[in-house]
Amino acid sequence: MQSQMKESDPILEVENLFASTDNLPILKGVSLTVYPGEIHAIMGRNGCGKSTLSKIIAGHPSYNITNGDIKFSGENINSLEPEERAQSGIFLGFQYPIEIPGVSNLEFLRVSTNARRKFLNKEELDTFDFEELVKEKLELVKMDHAFLSRSVNQGFSGGEKKRNEILQMALLEPKIAILDETDSGLDIDALRIVASGIKKISNSQTGIILITHYQRLLDEIEPNYVHVMADGQIIKTGGSNLALELENKGYEWTDNFVKES
Amino acid sequence: MEIIEQIKTNKLIDNPTEIQKICLHKLRESPLPNTKSEQWRLSNKLKFSNFLDYSVNEKDPKFDIPFPENSESNIRLIIGQNYQIKLIEENYSIQQLSEDELDKYIKEQISRFDQNENWSDLLNLSLSCTKNILGLKINGSKIPPIEIFSHASSNSLNAKTLVIFLEKNCDIELLQVNLGQENSSLSQSTFFCLEENCSVNHGVVSYGENRSNLLNSLNIIQHKNSEYNLGSLHFKFNFARFEISITQSTGNAKTNIKGMQITKKDEQISTYTKIDFNGPNGFLDQINKSLADDKSHAIFEGSIIVPKIAQKTDASQLSRNLLLSNDAQIDTKPQLEIIADDVKCKHGATISQLNEEELFYMRTRGITLPEASKLQLSSYFQEIISFIPVAKDRWDLLDKLLNEN
Repeated sequence: MQSQMKESDPILEVENLFASTDNLPILKGVSLTVYPGEIHAIMGRNGCGKSTLSKIIAGHPSYNITNGDIKFSGENINSLEPEERAQSGIFLGFQYPIEIPGVSNLEFLRVSTNARRKFLNKEELDTFDFEELVKEKLELVKMDHAFLSRSVNQGFSGGEKKRNEILQMALLEPKIAILDETDSGLDIDALRIVASGIKKISNSQTGIILITHYQRLLDEIEPNYVHVMADGQIIKTGGSNLALELENKGYEWTDNFVKES
Repeated sequence: MEIIEQIKTNKLIDNPTEIQKICLHKLRESPLPNTKSEQWRLSNKLKFSNFLDYSVNEKDPKFDIPFPENSESNIRLIIGQNYQIKLIEENYSIQQLSEDELDKYIKEQISRFDQNENWSDLLNLSLSCTKNILGLKINGSKIPPIEIFSHASSNSLNAKTLVIFLEKNCDIELLQVNLGQENSSLSQSTFFCLEENCSVNHGVVSYGENRSNLLNSLNIIQHKNSEYNLGSLHFKFNFARFEISITQSTGNAKTNIKGMQITKKDEQISTYTKIDFNGPNGFLDQINKSLADDKSHAIFEGSIIVPKIAQKTDASQLSRNLLLSNDAQIDTKPQLEIIADDVKCKHGATISQLNEEELFYMRTRGITLPEASKLQLSSYFQEIISFIPVAKDRWDLLDKLLNEN
């Protein structure tokens, strides 16, 4: 399905990627291509390598790429630092957003936004201008202004943390966003707010990878492609129906799949 | 260590005062602390010896206070400069202690001194000439913030002593700044007496320059219903010891301490605290942070003493430490000595490195590794710095620290 001709160049190409941590192989030949405007969902059992894939794309220093390439906008980014990847437009929404006590959310968001703006040759924003921008983005995720004066994610509920992730995504305007289990721990209302935020931010120029266990997020955001991962590999790729099939049949159904080439 | 030889041979001071005589007498038999004792065993002997290598300088050349400018809303005093202090306002008064009052108070303290435990004070009072002892008697409220400076000039050992007597119901904010110039040693002893219902926000900021040393001792006596809050910061010394002794004389008092020491290169900075609860219903909340980088060494030893009389004491002591290098060393030992049976006491220690997951999170938002480390350190520092009175408003300590780390 992914080999069809596209009008534009891919944003992200993961080519036969092998990676390990502490000499333990985690990814065993993952290939994935994302074009502008596409939404991909990656599903699979716990421990199959979904989150690892997202961290490796974002440049986590604990993982080593032992074979294969990650290309972003046509450039190999295997050796780029996480901040260089982020500045150039790769966004990772964390499954468990990190709390940073003592660092104000507003300052954190401002420094991050300015790092991205600098890369884009846009003028950096002072506190006053940034407050204007952030006020507008807060609306997208229905967050209260009071969250800005608190420490990053500290004391936030699970839903508030995820909304804060989407707020960051809105401010950073990435070319590709990898959202790692953004739906976990959300009640129905929070899920709708987060999903609506993602839809408003994404456009025909951005790519989105949703890592999820559940159909309910995909009911809100329909993916173009669904990939199933097992033991560090993508073993099956299909359309949005694949997720529905998984929901009905469970992961046992995929156990006998042979890796699709 | 010429000073030690001079103490032994009674040639250190030409015309010693009564106090100097008493202290020198106490030191003569064994002029050095016992390096095997708990309080001194971790002190680097070479560095300690370097502290004593400089000759005593009683003169005090004028020095430029690095920053900020004096402000009309603050009272700024420099120990060693001759003052006639007599400020009597509607709500408060600040006056110098008379020689008799000063003598009486210091002698009373000395009578309780142990040669080893109070060695730093004994040395200080042996060396401090009358001009370098500042004694103040303060009462009232709505007192402007007070800044008191001590400094050691290059190639010499300077001894400065501060005695503050707070009368009943007094309420003050005081920042003490200890500065060490290049190749210098500063001996600073401070004595604070808080009468009933007094409240003090006390800041101690000490920083040196290349190869400077510091022995900084703080003796606090709290009477009932007093509250003593201490925020302290020590950094950039070749060798520094901060010795805190607090006695809640009859219990029923509150003590809050937030201190931090930062070591780099091959520096050694240590904090020793001893909190004595000498009555019931005492309260203590203490946190001490160390940050050690390069090949430096940070030490914290805290002891909380709760005798039988100190029932219903509520005390907490926490030591939090950050190791920034594989070659740095941190020793920490918070300890409790409890005899009373109806108390709530806890202590703990953690040693960690910069949190890698926090760093990665920030980096995935485009923040560079140095910037992310700076943000993390700033949050680590902030808790302490925001507790240092006067400094938090007027001294840009956070920027100073972050730019040096």
